[in-house]
Amino acid sequence: MELKNKKLSRDEFLKIREEVLNQWPTGRDVDLEEAAQYLKSVPDYKNFCVKLKKAKDEGITLAQPRAGVALVDAHIELLKYLQNEGGADLLPSTIDSYTRQNRYSECEVGIEESKKAGRSMLNGFPAVNYGVKECRRVYESLELPLQARHGTPDSRLLSEIIHASGWTSNEGGGISYNIPYAKSVSVEKSLTDWQYCDRLVGIYEEMGIHINREPFGPLTGTLVPPSMSNAVAIIEGLLAAEQGVKNLTLGYGQCGNLIQDVAAIRALVEQAEEYFKEYGYDIELTTVFHQWMGGFPADESKAFGVICTGSAAAALAGATKVIVKTPHEAVGIPTKEANAAGIKATKQTLNLLRGQRLPLSKELKDEIELIKAETKCIIDEVLKLGKGDIAVGTVKAFEAGVLDIPFAPSRYNAGKMLPARDNNGAVRYLEFGNVPMNKEIRDYNRKLLEERAKYEGRDVSFQMVVDDIFAVGRGVLIGRPEK
Amino acid sequence: MKKTIVLGVIGADCHAVGNKILEHAFTQAGFNVINIGVLSPQEDFINAAIETNAEAILVSSLYGHGEIDCRGLREKCDEAGLKDILLYVGGNLVVGKQDWNSVEQRFKDMGFNRVYPPGTSPDTAINDLKHDLGVE
Repeated sequence: MELKNKKLSRDEFLKIREEVLNQWPTGRDVDLEEAAQYLKSVPDYKNFCVKLKKAKDEGITLAQPRAGVALVDAHIELLKYLQNEGGADLLPSTIDSYTRQNRYSECEVGIEESKKAGRSMLNGFPAVNYGVKECRRVYESLELPLQARHGTPDSRLLSEIIHASGWTSNEGGGISYNIPYAKSVSVEKSLTDWQYCDRLVGIYEEMGIHINREPFGPLTGTLVPPSMSNAVAIIEGLLAAEQGVKNLTLGYGQCGNLIQDVAAIRALVEQAEEYFKEYGYDIELTTVFHQWMGGFPADESKAFGVICTGSAAAALAGATKVIVKTPHEAVGIPTKEANAAGIKATKQTLNLLRGQRLPLSKELKDEIELIKAETKCIIDEVLKLGKGDIAVGTVKAFEAGVLDIPFAPSRYNAGKMLPARDNNGAVRYLEFGNVPMNKEIRDYNRKLLEERAKYEGRDVSFQMVVDDIFAVGRGVLIGRPEK
Repeated sequence: MKKTIVLGVIGADCHAVGNKILEHAFTQAGFNVINIGVLSPQEDFINAAIETNAEAILVSSLYGHGEIDCRGLREKCDEAGLKDILLYVGGNLVVGKQDWNSVEQRFKDMGFNRVYPPGTSPDTAINDLKHDLGVE
C-alpha cells in the first residue's frame, strides 16, 4: 500500500490486523470488542486522558518515572513501589530492547535467564511475550494510569496488547521511534506502521474510549535544536490526528538553558494548536517535558542537581507532566529505591514552584519567535516536498536532509546537521546541512556560535560539539576548553 | 602502517552517540576504524574483523543486555580463526548498579581482554590499545 496521510478505512485496518495478530502467539488473545468492553470499565482515575486534562486545567505538572523489568511479579512490585513510596502521578511500563526490535524469541531467553539469575536480565518489560492476561494483571494491580514507553519502530502488536490490557497511553511515532531507535527501518515503513497504532486508538475513540498518544519528543536526546524536535512533534501530532487520535501529549527534551527550554514548550503548544486548527483537527493537547536526556554525572548528589533543574524548567514552562530521571542514570537502569528518590526530588521541586511561570521577558519572547520561525521553515519545506501530504513529505524530507536528527543511528537520516551550544548554553545550529532556514536565521545562529568561539579563544568546530556532549556529565552545561 | 580495529554496539542496542565519538577519537589517534555501528550481532563483528584483517574488536553496550549479548563471542572468534584477537568491551554492561569488580570479572571470564566502566574517557582505551598492540 502506498503511504499517504489519509485515515485508514475500517477494512484496510482489519486486513492488516489479521497479519499483525499472527506475529506472535499472544496476538491471538486480542479481541477488539472484548477489549473495548474491558477499557470501558477503566475508572477515570486510572485513565491517562482524564488525569492529564485535570492537571492541565489546574495548571499543575505531573511526575512520571520510567521503569520496567523482565518478570511480571517483580514488575508489579516495582511499579507499586514507585506509586506508593515514590509518589508518582502516572506510571510507565518501559518495554525491553528485544521487544523494540520485535525479537520475541530473544525475550523468551531473557525471561528464562532472569528467573534463573533471580534478577532482571532485560532492560524492560516484554509485554508482547506476556500477552493480554498478564498485562491486565499489571494494570489491575495499580491505582494510577499506565502507559507503554519504548522505542519500537513496528509497535503494532505491542499497541494491540497494551491497549486491550487497560493501558490508556502509548508513547512513540513513526519518526521518533524509528530514527533514534533503529538502523535500517525505512521512514516509509515506520510511518505506515504507526498509522496503524494511531488508527487503533482512533477506532477505540469512535467506540467512546479515550486513549492518549505521546510522540517521543527528545529524539536522540543529544543537543537536538528545539525547532527540529518541535517540527517532528507537530508532524507526528498531525499524522496521529488524521487517524482519529483526539488526546495528544507533545514532548520536548530539556536542552539546559532555562529561557530556551521554557520557550520551546510555549512555542510547541502555540504552533501545534495553530496547525491543528488549520487542518481542522479537534485535539485535547497537553505537553511533556523530559529531564536532561544526555550523559549524567555519576555522583548521585550531582545527578539530583540535574534532576531538580529539569523539574524547575518543566514547572516554569507550565508542562503538563515531566519525565523523571534517577540518581543512577550514569550507570544504567536504577534500583526501585533510586527511581523513587528521583520522583521525590522532582515532586518536591514541582510543589515548591507550583503556580509559578517564567514571566514573558523580551528574551523569552524573542526565543519563542525564533523557535517558531525555524520550525515553520522546516514544516513548510516538508509540506512542499510532499505536495501538501505531510506523510509523503516526511519520507522525502529525510531523504533530502530537511529533517535531520543529530547523532541518530538510522541510515535513513542524513546526519549532516550539527548542533552546538551558544555562549549562554542554548542549543543552536552549527552546521545546517540541508535543513532549510532563511538567511536571517542562519546568520543569527552563526553569530551566536561565533560569540562563544571568541569567548573561548578557539574556532567554531566539531570539537565544541564533542565537548558539549560530555559537559553535563562532567558538571557543567557548556563544554569549554580546559584552561 | 595503521592498525585496523572493528568498532560497534552489540545486540539490540541503538545508542549511537558514544559510537560516533569513539570512531572520531580512534581515527584521530591514528587507527583505521571499521565502524559497524549500532544494532550489530556478534557475527557482524567477526565478519568485519576477518574481512579487514583487524587486530582488535571493540564492543560497546549501553542498554543493560550486554551480559546476554556478549556471551560466546570469544569462542566464536576462535572458531572463525581469529585466535587471540584483542577483545575490549565497555559501557553500562549489566542491568542496574552492580559492584564493578564483579562485573569486570564476569566479562574477563567471558574472554574479554579489557573491560571498561561507564564514563571511561576514549583516551584510556586508546592508550591501553596502543600498549596492547605494542605501538606508541
